[in-house]
Order: sequence, then C-alpha cells, then structure tokens
Amino acid sequence: MAVIEVDSLTKRYGDLTAVDDVSFDVEAGEVFGFLGPNGAGKTTAIRTLLGMQAPTTGGVSLLGRDTTVESERLDALADTGYLPSNPQFDEQATGREILDLHESIKGGSRRAELLELFDPPLDRELRAYSTGNVQKLGVVQAFMHDPDVVVMDEPTSGLDPLLQARFNDFLRAERDRGVTALFSSHVLSEVRRVCDRVAVIREGELVAVEDVQSLLDRSGKVVRARIDGDLPGDAFELAGVSDLSTESVDGATRVSLTYTGGMDALVDELDRHHLRELDVEEAPLEDVFLQFYGGEASA
Amino acid sequence: MLELARYGARRRLLGMLALSVGLSAFSGLYAVFFPTLTGNLDLEEYVEALPPVFVEAFGLRAFNTIEGFLATELYQFAWVILLGLYLAYSAASLIAGDVESGRMDVLLSLPVSRARLVGEQFLSLVPGILLVNVVVAAATWIATRAIGYPIGTADLVVVHALSLPYLFACAAIGLAFSVVADRVSVAQRAAAGTVFALFLLESLLTSTDYAWVGAVAPMRYFDPTAILVDGTYDIAGAAILVAGTLALVAASQLYFRRKDVN
Repeated sequence: MAVIEVDSLTKRYGDLTAVDDVSFDVEAGEVFGFLGPNGAGKTTAIRTLLGMQAPTTGGVSLLGRDTTVESERLDALADTGYLPSNPQFDEQATGREILDLHESIKGGSRRAELLELFDPPLDRELRAYSTGNVQKLGVVQAFMHDPDVVVMDEPTSGLDPLLQARFNDFLRAERDRGVTALFSSHVLSEVRRVCDRVAVIREGELVAVEDVQSLLDRSGKVVRARIDGDLPGDAFELAGVSDLSTESVDGATRVSLTYTGGMDALVDELDRHHLRELDVEEAPLEDVFLQFYGGEASA
Repeated sequence: MLELARYGARRRLLGMLALSVGLSAFSGLYAVFFPTLTGNLDLEEYVEALPPVFVEAFGLRAFNTIEGFLATELYQFAWVILLGLYLAYSAASLIAGDVESGRMDVLLSLPVSRARLVGEQFLSLVPGILLVNVVVAAATWIATRAIGYPIGTADLVVVHALSLPYLFACAAIGLAFSVVADRVSVAQRAAAGTVFALFLLESLLTSTDYAWVGAVAPMRYFDPTAILVDGTYDIAGAAILVAGTLALVAASQLYFRRKDVN
C-alpha cells in the first residue's frame, strides 16, 4: 500500500486551474521529490493532500486514510510531520513555547535529539528569529513526534549550505529508519541528493514521474570550457552532445554544450584539448523542461 | 484537550491584565467624582434636560445614586459599549489572524479537528473576560466604600455575572467574522461595526414601533441599570445570550470545517 496516494487530483480557483489531473503514489520508506518551477502547483497539491483545502475533483490519501474526510485525516495527521514553505509561527512566542504547544498536542519523543542537530534559539521570541532559525524550528516540529511520513515544502530554503547538507544527511538517515518523505523543490540539484524518485510538475500538470537517476541521465550536464587555439573539425563529435556552441576569443575558443553521454567519453574528448578553464554542472531545471518536455520553461 | 485554549489564554493574559487595571482606574475615577457631582449639581435635572433617546440608550435612571451613576457611566458605557466592542474586535482576529499570517498551515497539520480549533480559540478569550470582571468588580466594591457610597455587594456580583453572557455574545460575533474573512482588518472592522450597529439599533428603535427589531441586539438582554437600580435580574435574557453565543460558535465551527484555507 502506498503511503501517499494522489489520484487524478484537480484543484481549481475559479477559472484558474492550479493542479490539473495529477496522480502519483509514494511508497513506504521512499524519499519522493516533487519538482517544479515556482508557481507550478506544488504547494497547492501538498496543501490539498493535507486537507487544508478540498480537491475540486480527484482523491488524496495519506497512510491509507482519505484526507478529505476529517476523522480519517486526523488519524493520518497524528503520524504525519509537515513543514510548510516559509513556515509561520506566533511572533510573540519563544521557540520553546511553540515546541511545548506542539508537544502537548502531538508528542515530542524526538525533540531533544532533533534540537542537537537543528538548534534554533529556543528562549528568543520568534519575531527576533532569522529565516534560517525559523526553518530549523520548522524542521524540529515536523519530526519531533517521530512521524511515519513527512511532507516538506521547499524544506531547505533559508538554510545555509552547511545546514542544508546536515538536513540532507538527516533525511537519508530517516529514510533508512523507514520514514517516508515527500519533498518539494524547484532545484533539481537539491532533489537529486536525497530523493529516490521524482514527480515533475509544471503549470499544474504532471509531466513525468521518474527515478532520480534516469532524470539526471536524461537531463545531462552543462559543460563549459575555454580551450587554447582553434578546435579541430571533429571536436566534441560524440554521442550525447547537444546545444554545442563555440566562439573564438583572444586566441582561445569558448565551448558550451549539454552532455548526456558517458563520463569517460567526455573526459577522453576533453583530454584531446589544452584546457584553460572547465566547468561541468547539472543542467538547470528550466533547461531540463525545455529539452525533454518541450514548450517554454516558466520559472 | 484545551492545549490551544490554554496557550491562547496565556498569550492574552498580559493584555487583559492591562485592560483590567485600566477599567479599574476608570471605575475609581467615577467613584472619586461622584460625591462632588452630587454635591454641586442636580443630576436629576441634568438627566431630564437630555434627549429621551439618549436617556434610554444609556439607561439613565436614578442618576443621583451611586448605583444609577455607575450603571450608566461604568456599566452601560465601559462595559456594554467599550468592552463589547473590544471583545468583538479582538475575537475577530482569532482565526483570520492565523489564516492571514500563514500560521494556520502549521495549526491545521496538527491532529486537531477544525471544530476543536475554532472552539478552543474562542475559549481562550474566557479567562481574560473573567479576569476583567473579577478585578473591576473588586475595584468598584472597594472604591465605592472608600467614598462612603457603598454599592450593594449582591447587585454588584450579579451585574458582573450577567455581563458575562453579554460579553461572550459580543466575542462570538467577532469569532463569526473571523472564520468568514481571510483578512484580520476586514474581520475586525466588520465585527466592531456590527456590534456598534446593534447597539444603535436597540437604543434608537426602543421607543418606536420597530422596537422588535432590537431583539437581535445582545444589548437588549443585559441591562445594568435594571440590576443596580431596580434589583431586577433578567435571567431569561442571560439564557438567550448564552444560546446565541453557542449558536454563533457552532455556526463558526461548521463554516470553518468546510472552508478552504488559502
């Protein structure tokens, strides 16, 4: 049985269709990425899944319970953690008061352990918190009651790179403990580090549900190099190269291409040239959309 | 149970304490004025010179007694109008405030039903309302004794006790606007405006053929002058206010249960 089931979910606000016939399942013990540009409908889908709004049509279930039915939803929520995007808490309360309130309602068996990893200033009022600290408090409240499933909307936004890495390690450890997670993001590189599978959503429609690895294989790398002299005619004529562009500047050649082939072949090809600079990075999400799903990317 | 109510009540405690002190000072001030006023002015003549509608609106009777004086100045004005408006205004932010700020998202992810959330938010106002009543009743009891015009203890207790259903009803009006509106400022203006409009409705229409319209106003069912001056207690009125409060809270719960929180 899938832990999260989204079945032909559609959510309309008047004439605007925020989520259009989206279906996907998240299996137990899986970290599932929910990937799409800002405004693609990720938050709407997540909030509908959690029962904050009702689907226009379609079904949503969490831990086998229909979350549109309140009694079932409350059962599911007791074992669910939620980290909204840009979480908001009572500004006049201290972090400790917030966590005390949450603990009194849903439990906090892991609170102390989490506070060692993510340590917001508990005795300070929330209005004096930085964005990063609010996010840390959000992470602690989402996991403190040892939930079976955690739904997170852009969880690493606001965290500095060191904390992002700590959060990713933590999430992998949680998965190994059997926790199921739904993780939304608009950054492919973030999702690839922790997710097993990814649903890609764009303009409210699901465009793909794939293994992270196959998505990365298909999306490829952006390679930028500066090479001494002119390029031989057969340079970079290898399988998996697209969007090749070259430009001569001051006795060197600037090369830019997208590459989806094997790494060894790329290294062999680069070895033929005298490199002044080399950059290899993941293709931005917008380019992935352009390349593989057609149409214009909207970010 | 009641975790959210307790939390909300604690957060409101300081504000309600400040309000209690302020209204106690108000009461003390009237007590200090009273002997001078009765000594230097014929208050009955003053009241007779006022327009009847005004006399009716503020329950001006036996104005030259401490009971009649406080019934009008403290209870009709500070309690029925000011405190009623304040509670409607304050309750209007209960749900709308959390929705507007985005805090509601985290609250709704807790295993707490929507009805319980609304109910507990409403209950979080109750300790503060009780506190204001206890503090101001005590202050008034002491102040009237200090000036040598002691107000009857039983009537004082009853006027505060019977003001509770009235104040709850005003808060319930605020709560209703709070679940309907998504913006705090809209809910607060609508709630305070409604309570004031109901006060005008009841007081302006009371001596006309349309007096029955005022039956929707909570002010009809709580009359401090009748309690303090005549010693008559409108228990049925209090029951109507309790019923009205429960109906408004239940309606708010039902509405919020079905609402899409954006």
